[in-house]
This record gives sequence, C-alpha cells and structure tokens, in this order.
Amino acid sequence: MAEMGEELFTNVLVPVASEDDARASIRAALPYLAAAGGTATLVHVIEKAGGAPDKASVEQREEYAAEIFDAAWEEADDALVELHREIIYGTDVAESIIDAGDELDASAIVFTPRGSSRWVKLLTGDVALGLVEHSDRPVIVLPDEA
Amino acid sequence: MTDQELARDLGFLEAYTIGLGTMIGAGIFVLPSIAAEQAGPASMVSFFLGGIISLLAALSLSELATGMPKAGGSYYYVNRALGPFFGSIVGLGMWAGLTFASAFYMIGFGQYLLPGLGDYIGLLAGWGDLGITVAALVMAAFLTGVNYYGVKETGALQNVIVLTLVGLIVAFLGLGFLSDPTIGEFNPQGWPSVAATIGTVYVTFIGFEVIATSAEEIKNPSRNLPLAMIAAVVTPTLMYVGVMYVSTGTLTPSALQDSQVPVADVAREAFGPFASAVPFVSVTPGALGSFGALLMIVGAVLATVSSANASILSAARVNFAMGRDRILTNWLNEVHSQFRTPYRAITGTGIITLLLIAVGVGIDTLAEVASFMYLVTYALVHVGVVVLRRADPDAYEPSFRIPSVLYPITPIVGGAACLVVLFQMSIRWEPLPLAYEGLFDLGVSLPVTPTLVGLIGTLIVVVGIVWYFVYAKERAPSQSLVGEAIAPSEAAASDGADRYRVVAPLSNPATERDLLRWAAASAHAHEDENAEIIAVNVIEVPQQTSLAQDVQFEEERVAQQQELLDTARDIAADLEVGLRTRAIVARSASDAILDVLDEENADQVVLGWTGSRSTREHILGSNIDPIVEHAPCETTLLKLASGRRDEPAGDSWDATASGDGTPEEIVVLAGTGPHAPVAAQRAAEYVQASPPGSTAVSLLNVQSAGEEGDDPEAEGTAIIEDILAGSALSADECVTDVVVTEDDVRDAILEAIEPYDTVCVGATRTGAVSQALFGSIPEAIGEQFDGRVVMARGAEEAPRSVRDAIVERLAD
Repeated sequence: MAEMGEELFTNVLVPVASEDDARASIRAALPYLAAAGGTATLVHVIEKAGGAPDKASVEQREEYAAEIFDAAWEEADDALVELHREIIYGTDVAESIIDAGDELDASAIVFTPRGSSRWVKLLTGDVALGLVEHSDRPVIVLPDEA
Repeated sequence: MTDQELARDLGFLEAYTIGLGTMIGAGIFVLPSIAAEQAGPASMVSFFLGGIISLLAALSLSELATGMPKAGGSYYYVNRALGPFFGSIVGLGMWAGLTFASAFYMIGFGQYLLPGLGDYIGLLAGWGDLGITVAALVMAAFLTGVNYYGVKETGALQNVIVLTLVGLIVAFLGLGFLSDPTIGEFNPQGWPSVAATIGTVYVTFIGFEVIATSAEEIKNPSRNLPLAMIAAVVTPTLMYVGVMYVSTGTLTPSALQDSQVPVADVAREAFGPFASAVPFVSVTPGALGSFGALLMIVGAVLATVSSANASILSAARVNFAMGRDRILTNWLNEVHSQFRTPYRAITGTGIITLLLIAVGVGIDTLAEVASFMYLVTYALVHVGVVVLRRADPDAYEPSFRIPSVLYPITPIVGGAACLVVLFQMSIRWEPLPLAYEGLFDLGVSLPVTPTLVGLIGTLIVVVGIVWYFVYAKERAPSQSLVGEAIAPSEAAASDGADRYRVVAPLSNPATERDLLRWAAASAHAHEDENAEIIAVNVIEVPQQTSLAQDVQFEEERVAQQQELLDTARDIAADLEVGLRTRAIVARSASDAILDVLDEENADQVVLGWTGSRSTREHILGSNIDPIVEHAPCETTLLKLASGRRDEPAGDSWDATASGDGTPEEIVVLAGTGPHAPVAAQRAAEYVQASPPGSTAVSLLNVQSAGEEGDDPEAEGTAIIEDILAGSALSADECVTDVVVTEDDVRDAILEAIEPYDTVCVGATRTGAVSQALFGSIPEAIGEQFDGRVVMARGAEEAPRSVRDAIVERLAD
C-alpha cells in the first residue's frame, strides 16, 4: 500500500491559484514528494473569457502567476525536490488543469482545499469540484497543515 | 501550439465584437437628443467626422499596438514615446475619461430604465431625475461588484449582446428609412456648432481603444488588429449617421431635444405606420410603435450596461500599466487572492463613477469630458507614432505599419483634427466680460467664453502635470524618445545591433576581478564584433529620500563606487579588453541593471552569486532574482570558490592558473537541458582566453543505471557529443567522462565534481514566464560545491509549452 502511495507522487501536477494556496499545497505535498523522490509541476491557469473582456490583463495575471510561483519556491526553500512551473491559458480552469495533467502524464493532481463560501463558488466557478468530477487520473486533496 | 499562442484567443470576429460591444453603447441611444439640440440634423455630420477622426486614430493605434502589444493601450504608447510627463497626462486622462464615460453610460441606463420603461411598467414611472440617479448608482455599484468578484462572463454572452444590438439598430434603420423621414432645416446652428458637437458625440467612439488594449490576445495581429479596429469604427459610424438621419427626420426638433429616450421615441413614431404590414395578426399602429419602442429600450439597457462594464475594466488596465511604470502606486494593482481581479483599481474606479453620477453635472457634460480626455489622448498618440518612427528604438518593430502613402499625413491630420475639436468644444464664440455681479468689473472682456467641459478637461490635464512633478518624476524610470526622434543618434544606428556587449554589474571589490575575467573571456571570443564590457555599479537609495538628496549625503558610497569602477578599468586594461563604466543611482538595483541591459542591447550579463537562492543575501544591493528572471540576454552567474582553494592572484591572463602552478581544472556538466551547451560555451571561451596549458577541461555526464538492457554509457556519450557540437569546445582538447550510478544522480554529480576547481553548469529547464534559473541540481551545486561555480543560461527563448516540456522529460 505504501508503494502504491509513493507511485502517486512520482510526477504530480499541483494547480495553484494564489500565493497562500501555493504555500499550503507545497507545504502539504513536500513530505510525500520527498518520500517518493517525485517531481511536482506547479500550474497556474490564467482564465480567459474567450471573447468577452477579461477581468484583468493577461500581463497583470502573468506577473501575479510569477509571484505565486516564487512563493512556492520560497516555501520549498532548501528541500531538494524537483519543482517546475507552468502557466496555462484556458476558458475553463478545471478543464485546463485536467488537460495539462494529460499532457504531462501526471501521476496525480494534488491540491489543498481552499475554503470559499458557496455563493462565491457559484459565481466564480468551483474548480475543485470540476477536478474531482472530470479528472481521469487520481486527484489527491491534502489537508492544509497550517 | 505554444502557450503564447494559447493566450491569443481572439480572432478577427472576436476582436471586432469586443470593439463593437463598447462602441454601440449608450452613445447611440442617448446622444441623438443632445446632438440634435446642439446642431440639428447637421449633427449627423458631427457623427461622420467623429468617425473619420477615429479612423485616423485607429491607423496610428494599430501600428503602435502591434509594435508594443502591452496592457494599457494609448497610455503605454504615449509614455514610451513621449516620456512620463505626457504619460502622466494621458494615463490620468484616460482613466478620468473612462470614469466619466461610465457615469454617462449609467445615467443613460437610468433614463431608459425609468422614464423609458415607465411607459410600460407603472411602478417605474414618475420617479423623476432622482429616480434616474438612483438607478444609475445602483447599476454602477452592481457592475463594480461583478468585476470585483470576478463573476464569470463569457464570449458567448458578449456575442449575444452585440448581435442583439446590431439587429435592433438595423431594424430601427430599416423601418425608419422606409417610413420616409423628412429633414427640416439641415443646419440651424451653423458649422462651428457642428464642430463642437463632434466633441459631444466623440464619447461614442472611444470604445475601439479596447481592441488596442487587447493586442496581446489577438491572433495574427498584423492583419486582425487593424482590420478589427477599422471595422469597429466604420460600422458604428454608418449606424450613427443613419440613426441621426432617421431621428431628426421623424420627430420634430423640439420633441427630439426633450426626449430622454430618443431612440425609443423615434421607434414609436416611425414603426406605427407598418402595423398594416404585420402578417397573421392585426395590430394597431399605436401597439406596434409601442412594441418597437420597448425593443429599443431593452437594447439601450443592454448597451449601456455592457459599455460601462468594459469601461470599468479598461480603467483598471490603465491603472495597472501606470503602476508598472511607477507613475501610480502599485498598491492599486494588487490582485485579489481569491477572485483574481485587480479589486482595488476596480473599487477605485467604481467609487469615482458613483461620485460623478451623484454630483449631477449633467449627462452631456459627462459625455463631453470623456470625449475631451480621449481627444487629448489621441492627439498625443499621433505624435507618439511619429516620434517612434523617427527614433526607431530596437524594440519597436510593428507588424502593421501605416501604409507609406498615408504616412506622415494621417498622424498629422489626425492630431490636428483632435486639436481643432478640443478647441471648439472648450470655448464659445461670445465675449466674456471680466466682471462679477458688481463685486468687480475690470472693464475688459475676453473675446471668447470658456465652456464648463473645457475647464474640467483642462483641470484634469493640469492635475496630470502636477502629479508628474509631485509624484511620478522621481519614480518613473522611462525616458522619452523625443530627443532621439529629433536627432536620431548615429551610434544607435551604426553599432547598436552588431557590437557584442557584456554587462558586468559590480558591487564587491573581492568578486570584481573574477567577474571581469569571465566577462572578458566572452568578449575576447567576439573580438571581431568590437566586443566591449560595460561595468555597472548601482547605488541604491531608499524610497523615501530623493535621488539627488541621497547622493549628497552619501559621498562615501559615491567614492567607493568610483574606486570600484576605476579598478575595473585597470583590470580591463590588463585583460586587454574594451571597457566602459556606468555609475548609477537608483531606487532598485535590479531595475536599473535591467534598464542597462535594454539600453545597451546587451548580449550577455555576468552576475556574482552567493550560491544559494534562498538566502536573501544582497549581492547587488538587491536580490539577483529579478535580473535572472527578466534579462533578455545570455546570463552567467558566477559563484566564487569558498575558502578551500587559493584564488588566482593576478589580473592578467597569465595569472589564471591556480596558485600552485598546476592547470586550473574545469568541469562542464553535460546534461540534456537547453542551457548545457551555453555552459560549455562559457568554459570554451574561458579556456581560449587563457594561456595554453593553464587550464584543463572535462565534460562530465552522470547517468543513472536505469533498467536492465539500457546502455547508460552510450546515452551519456551521445549527450556529450551533442554538447561538443553545440559549443566551441573540440573533442581533442577536453576529457570526457560518463559516470553511471546506482544512487541518486544529484549525489553522484556532487561527488564527481569534487576534485575540480570550477564547475560550469547550464540552467535547468524553465517555466513559461519566469526564466528562473534554478532547479534542484544547480542549486545543490551552488550550495554544496566549494569551488567556483559558473551557471549559464541562453538568451530568453520563446516560452515553452507543456508539450515541449514533456518531450524534454521523455528525453531524460
């Protein structure tokens, strides 16, 4: 069973939405990654409206993504774990993450739950639910230790 | 498909509808009564001329937007071309223009919702102007909320709205023309009024700017961007002219001027006669007219809301671009961690919009101020395109250029037209006696009377100027290109691109020699390109002190800077390499160095490194990360040997051998990463610049033993051969070594490099945006190897896609 668990962490995709989220995910995933000697690819999705004006310019959100990744790198600090970063663009965040998982042939999609109220999820889309419902590879939700 | 292409998700049609969505806004539904009041039926000429002015602006904007596809649109171009003085004026002007326009749209919304729908829904009738204001306030607050919370909007919804609007207006025009409108006196107020009315209606034309601000997202921009812009200007212009024709021909002048819902009232009047033509059911003319009016009201409500929404978002982008240039505080541009929206900028814009609605300056004044600010903007955009063409900076390579038969005519005519309209709308041709109610009477009068909009508009420009001197001047780093445009410098033209330049930021006398020696090695390898080193030292001063002040008080630091740079010149003389020095005082060392890389068109930057990324040690007075991530050229990080070994003592090449006279042992890590050949190249240059026999080079590849049946030895040899082919190293002058290990590759590498003096390693693969050098292996070497570490990466490449990353991974 332990071996099974390690296999899941050989090449994980970690979707990150904010700095706090990235820190929490890295904090939670590091022990597993270290044990499995695995690599993690951090992915931030820049959501596109696909024809309507976006809420913020792509450049602004690319800068924001760089801040998120930096936060994750800082959190990982001296842990010798291989981390990669990738920005992807898509109109549907969950779908984009799932596609990235396919392309990377990720062993699992790993994240920590980010609490937000039900109506906020209704208005802005519930990514976690979309991942769980539509992913065809393992989705691992780790508790946020902090 | 690369990620960059995925970010470009707008084709011609999408770009066109985005432009149309903001163009067919409140303007066409609200302005007919105001325009008719000012210039009668001749106001259709005002709309037409407004369209021509926009078309000229669209040409200049297309060139600028394809040359600099950056967020911020006109503000960004003007700031780059004309510097932060005009950048401050245009940035503030655009932002103010967009808030005034939002308030205008919202009041238009209120007029159609309450008095308009009041005819159908009793509850909405009879609320008067107060009701309109309240409805406008509620809707503006709602839109601000929608954008604050990042409520999902889709392209599909946008298209439905735009198609509905176009359909409604086409129906309006069709039936309106068939109802045989009759125009009375065409030009009752005279041509100056027609010219001034351009200023009033110009607010309907500011929407196409949205296309320029989306330049980074448009596919095949050289074709789609100018086409979408021109189409998004021509379509509404024809519609506006038609709507004015039908409106002034259907209603009496007084009925039209008094209407708050002109298009609905015109529809009510014009559609009635077609009642007999309605098939299958019998309707009275009154009912059909009433139905037509209702449709127009629905259209107006949609249009005003979508225009205001786009304006609020555009305003936030202008804020972002200004914050990036440090003309405005970046505090405004914080992205909300949950909603991922620039919530502060959106809230700020929303609040000012609410204030403008509440103050009640009048819907026509709101429209005119918005027009005023955009006319100022476009006048400067036309100047900007001329300046950029003449200055011709390296980075400016627009994929669309104004056709040569039209240049420089269109920017000159376009700019002049903006100024003429600005002048016309700012004054009335009536003398203004300088007297006030018996309080004073100077006995003279001004020949003309300034208008309210002229005063407000001028005030906003003045605020922009004051803002520049009080806030932006010290902070904003960018320079104007006007000087370049007036007298293009010879140097920039003759040696800008072909000279090989190595920039070496220096800060520490102890690392200075070694840094310069590696920089000189690269320079020597490019001797035929007039190679030179630019030694830079930056004195960083804190935010709260002014730059000039700090220099005075810190003479000691300045003296140190001079000494450092003097030493650099001596070292360069010994190394027989050309060297220029630049002493800089700046807020941020990393930003200043990035500016230098840009200005010098650098080919390589050589930076000192402490060996670890996590320690926030200030090598250059600030963290090197920003430079490493954003440098557009080849980047070399140099970590000096830490203690164990003797440093080579002298400055000339003869002294490069290690202290005890044995050759300096250099090892290149031959990996599969994209930057490994660059690392090998650095080693090759260093060896070639050193006297024969003073250095020895090895290429090392470490393979994990892998599965049975694999041949790691052969794989490693193949990789090494690739590296040799990609660099100036030749197989006979270096030793190659493939190590196969059962253990961790990283540990095996650390063990294998132990005997060497210097290790050259390529940066590991990088992410799409951030060009961060660091992966686990180079970082581990930096931290644990105590010899000299040279880490290299190539010039910034096109961002790699997920697919490329996989291919690379499979190749490992």
